[in-house]
Amino acid sequence: MRMNVVSFCLLVVAQILICNYLHVSMYLSLSILPMLIMCIPTRIDTVRAMLIAFAAGFAVDFAAEGVLGLNVAALLPVALLRRTICEAIFGDELFARNENFSMQKYGPTKVIFVLAIAQALFLTVYIWADGGQAQPFAFNFIRGSVSFLAGLVLSVPIADMLTKEGRR
Amino acid sequence: MAGKRNIYRTGINVAIFILLEVAALGLLRRSSTGQEFFISKLSHGFIGTVWGWSQSVGDYFALRKINENLSGENFALQTALARAGAAADSLRSAGAGAVTAGRFRYTKAEVVKSSRNKHHNYLIVDKGSKDGVTSHTGIISANGIIGIIDSVGTNYSYAISFLNSNFNLSARIGREGAVGPMAWNGRGLSNATLREISLQHKFEKGDTVFTSGHSSIFPPDIPLGLIEDSRIINGSTYDINVHLFQDYSAIRYVTLVSNLDRKEIAELENKEDGK
Repeated sequence: MRMNVVSFCLLVVAQILICNYLHVSMYLSLSILPMLIMCIPTRIDTVRAMLIAFAAGFAVDFAAEGVLGLNVAALLPVALLRRTICEAIFGDELFARNENFSMQKYGPTKVIFVLAIAQALFLTVYIWADGGQAQPFAFNFIRGSVSFLAGLVLSVPIADMLTKEGRR
Repeated sequence: MAGKRNIYRTGINVAIFILLEVAALGLLRRSSTGQEFFISKLSHGFIGTVWGWSQSVGDYFALRKINENLSGENFALQTALARAGAAADSLRSAGAGAVTAGRFRYTKAEVVKSSRNKHHNYLIVDKGSKDGVTSHTGIISANGIIGIIDSVGTNYSYAISFLNSNFNLSARIGREGAVGPMAWNGRGLSNATLREISLQHKFEKGDTVFTSGHSSIFPPDIPLGLIEDSRIINGSTYDINVHLFQDYSAIRYVTLVSNLDRKEIAELENKEDGK
């Protein structure tokens, strides 16, 4: 499965279904949206990535969460810092040459690190916006940690599928 | 030259980010405070219709298992009814449809879908506009408050659950004690916090907390829970931890309660606000 409009839309629908049917614990907010934003091809610039993040977050908020703006607010910083994070981990040439990252090219450690940064950034804003100010730090910390680990475990194989390069 | 272009590009990116983030936070603020916001209404209507319908489809395929459960429940109910005697008869007649008592109208309903592991939880009930349900109808059970209808479809309604960090309820300690806003504490399903109780009011651990009746949505004196403990906030008021009677992990049959005078009360409130 390559990253294109269809696979992106299908994964947003998958996120809507996750939000609707996966009610495991109050400590778990499972999201693959930060991974989706990081996997947007590098030829898409930051402004368009932010617009895509806005649309994807809004779709999930509208159809599943019922609280408009929650995913949008958390996803926009990921889209803004996508290029900075990728350049810091993979080097400047990734965007300069309009190449896309993959586990084959850069190794799993770097890709997982990039996804972890995106997931952590997303969850920090998400938990804060989802009433985190009114909760004790310990509660938010456990919620963030559980959601971070679960989100990362789900995101890594999907990112591998989306970024896998065909044989030449 | 390239450096200047980079600065310019970063500036544009940050400006657009700020614009979109402000829009997102604006949406969040309007959506989570329960204001009459048309996009929120559209979203809640969509969720109520689509997920209520999908749950019905799922339920259809689970009918065999449900039938087995129902036959078990039926047996238990028959036994309970036989014991209750005359009281059961009156209950049976009352449960047939909508019942009006005083200024409140009660309608039985079934919860077809609910979330309880989020911080903005919701419910979908199997009654809609064709059953006379309107927004701001309360949802109660014998054990407390369940939620408030927010958006109404033809057959289903979307409700904001009591387990929602933006839901505040007016509650009273005992039948004639102090009144304050009560809200879910956001951690677990069994506790809520009653706030702003001034220090001169006396209460004990184990005292019952009821709805105050200072709301045009819920009738007074619905038992909500028992006082567990309390703490003083800023030296001026108590925050009281209340253990709720309602088990929110097992909600199925509920009662919709609408205040027949709500429109008149709302008109008076609007008139006062307009002054």
